[in-house]
Amino acid sequence: MNTKLKVSEISKIYPGCIANDKVSLEFGSGKIYALLGENGAGKSTLVKILSGVVKPDEGEVFLNDESIKLNSPLDAKKNNIGMVFQHFNLFETLSVFENLSIDIDKKDEELRALVNDILKKYNFKIDLDIPVLNLSAGQKQKVEIIRCLIRNPKVLIMDEPTSVLTEQETDDLFISLKQFSKDGILIIYITHKLKEVLSLCDEVAVMRKGKVVSVSNTIDEKIESLANKMVGENLNTIKKKINNFKKSEEILKISNLNFTSDDPYETNLNNLNLSLKKGECLGIAGISGNGQNELFQILSGEIITEGTSIMFRNKEIGKLNPKERREYLMAFSPEDRISQAAVPELKIYENVALNNFKSSNFFEKGLVNEKKIKEHSKKILSNFSVNTDNVELKSQFLSGGNLQKLIIGRELITSPELLVCFNPTWGLDVGAINYIHETLIQINEQGKSSILISTDNDELLKLSDRICVIYKGKLSKIMNADTVSAEKLGILMGGGSID
Amino acid sequence: MIKVEKRSDVSRSIYFLTPVLAIFLTLFGGGIIFFILGFNPIEALKFFFITPISDLYGLSELLVKATPLCLIAIGLSFCFKSNNWNIGAEGQLIFGGIVGGGVALLFYNHDGFYVLPIIILSGAIGGMLFAMIPAILKTYFNTNEILVSLMLVYVAKLLLDYLVVGPWSNPEGFNFPETRQFSESARMPILFDGLRIHAGIFITLITVFLSWLILYKTYLGFQIKVSGLSLKTAKYAGFKGKTMIIIVFMISGACAGLAGVGEITGPIGQLHRNISPDYGFTAIIVAFLGRLNPIGIIFASLIVALTYLGAETAQIFLQVPKYTGQVFQGMILFFLLGSDYLLFFKIKFLGLKKNEL
Repeated sequence: MNTKLKVSEISKIYPGCIANDKVSLEFGSGKIYALLGENGAGKSTLVKILSGVVKPDEGEVFLNDESIKLNSPLDAKKNNIGMVFQHFNLFETLSVFENLSIDIDKKDEELRALVNDILKKYNFKIDLDIPVLNLSAGQKQKVEIIRCLIRNPKVLIMDEPTSVLTEQETDDLFISLKQFSKDGILIIYITHKLKEVLSLCDEVAVMRKGKVVSVSNTIDEKIESLANKMVGENLNTIKKKINNFKKSEEILKISNLNFTSDDPYETNLNNLNLSLKKGECLGIAGISGNGQNELFQILSGEIITEGTSIMFRNKEIGKLNPKERREYLMAFSPEDRISQAAVPELKIYENVALNNFKSSNFFEKGLVNEKKIKEHSKKILSNFSVNTDNVELKSQFLSGGNLQKLIIGRELITSPELLVCFNPTWGLDVGAINYIHETLIQINEQGKSSILISTDNDELLKLSDRICVIYKGKLSKIMNADTVSAEKLGILMGGGSID
Repeated sequence: MIKVEKRSDVSRSIYFLTPVLAIFLTLFGGGIIFFILGFNPIEALKFFFITPISDLYGLSELLVKATPLCLIAIGLSFCFKSNNWNIGAEGQLIFGGIVGGGVALLFYNHDGFYVLPIIILSGAIGGMLFAMIPAILKTYFNTNEILVSLMLVYVAKLLLDYLVVGPWSNPEGFNFPETRQFSESARMPILFDGLRIHAGIFITLITVFLSWLILYKTYLGFQIKVSGLSLKTAKYAGFKGKTMIIIVFMISGACAGLAGVGEITGPIGQLHRNISPDYGFTAIIVAFLGRLNPIGIIFASLIVALTYLGAETAQIFLQVPKYTGQVFQGMILFFLLGSDYLLFFKIKFLGLKKNEL
């Protein structure tokens, strides 16, 4: 039976962010569709709308040319739309069969027969009577898939399904998905992994900043072309003057850094090596979710890795927390400026006090020195042209650009030797972007170093002296920025190799 | 169509006025309940809220009840402000009472000015140590502090039961489940002859002042505030998260322990099974009604203390069970949470869209 699914002009606006901006897409059964985009591109919002978890502000969903209302996950089930979320929704202590029988109106024997048929048909090997907690991630996912299959789905949506799977499990999953597709189930596959799109899917829709930017057949695409579509095509070639740092003093050296996370949704880092010279900007490119978050936290000291060597100005700092690292003149500007780098409910001067170090005297003998903090904050507001002089203002009333100026200002006013920043211009307007870029170039000119982790290639090519790419927790070779092209970055970001 | 939206800013004065609104709504709701029960609502409410405090003895009783409530709620505010959900203040109160009471029994035939301070201190330490159990389990073994602290309440209760029935029971007490009376020097000084109000109120007031100082004027207070608003930011700023969790639990436990020791050396004068009418649980309502603010908590403790007194008067004059007090406490929390929802969210009534008609 043919299934046609169509979303028409779907919009969803959250305070301060347009998650979906007039998204229109059409899908038909027999094909596997990829929905590709970076974190925050709006793909998760779209599938939440399709599965009834989120209601769109505008737009309609059509199933076989009929408009359907998806007010709750129950409505999605009624319309035979199945969804396997990235995070599993299973009761760990119940058996597989109990998990399957929870929300279905069938007699136990009947259900067991049905499940056994499915197991046989798709060659799944799962013991139905053991508790879910004894299953591997791949098997748990199969349980979730079976849960959808027993409802005869017309549409099956998979949200980043491979993030917790091993290579072997991923291969198995792809075989099953292709089989489902042959059996007439329409499959929508959400991912930010380019290789998977090319090896599995027939059509690919790329989303960026809430909009669909391209729809094409995967045969016509390559890893680089998809990478460029994901991060933005207008790769500009304005570059900063490249200096030769061969003779400069080495300021940071990381050798053989490994990080294995307890959380299966985080990326492990493998054998990372890098070094940074005084006055240099090292750019780290990559599609988000490839270990940038973990790398930033290791640099800032939010994650302490045992036995790792991080030498900063000839001192071992691997075991120090962020506050202690600041004493050694490091500064950090995290990606999440709204809820991590600053607290929206706090006043500007209180947010400034977050970057507290001994010589600042913000807190003397454990007591707050409000006067000192306020003076210091005023200095930041005027030096970094933040659009207010009221240090009592809550930072939630600053625009994104002004907030980022405040944060960069807070981090830089201590004249740190190294600034680590992660997507510093994400979501800002052009004026603010230029200001931040100029500031970052300026600190290099003053002989201070910086590490720029960014998913914006344009920005990286403009600001970096050397560039490398992070892919699945591994760093590529570090290259001089003047020898790097957008195409090269694209290949490396998709997991390809260059010589 | 109805749509719920988060408000972008909440006015500070309204933030502190909603608890007052909640109290008025509670009175209104209480009136309705009394009416349904067949009483004249105005009369009944008068018995509940005015009669108990219309004489000096009543006012003194109000302060006797408010003293432990305020003390515990102040301690809890440290935990709640930093997103640590200590639900077990009742257990910490009882354990503080057990330790303080144990010391008092040790000194039962001693006299001297040093006896009471030692008892008070040991009670505070007892509550503090008891609160450290959920804190340490949370920081090192990732347990849920709500469950652990709550279940420890029953551990403390049963321990107290065992002690007053068994090893600590009064040798001359005809097997009543209670200990000896504490000696005179182990009792809180009474402030006025004939009234029960005791020196514990000064401990509470000093604690309120110190808490205000810590919360608003120190680095520790700043760290507590930031951690409560965003744990991610606290980590990024390099605050020592685990140490802080343990410190707030210690403060909170010490306050509850002090409240326990204040009860047994104050109005009670010995250990028995019921040294607290659930002060530790009711203080949670007090803490939120007072907006986790030291001054707010003082007022909130007086109001909630009144529900205890009102229930007793109502039991006598209206023959309703004294659990009516808990009904009122429940209503206060209900209306507070309800008005908070409207405080932080606004409800928009939109016209029906064409395609929905």
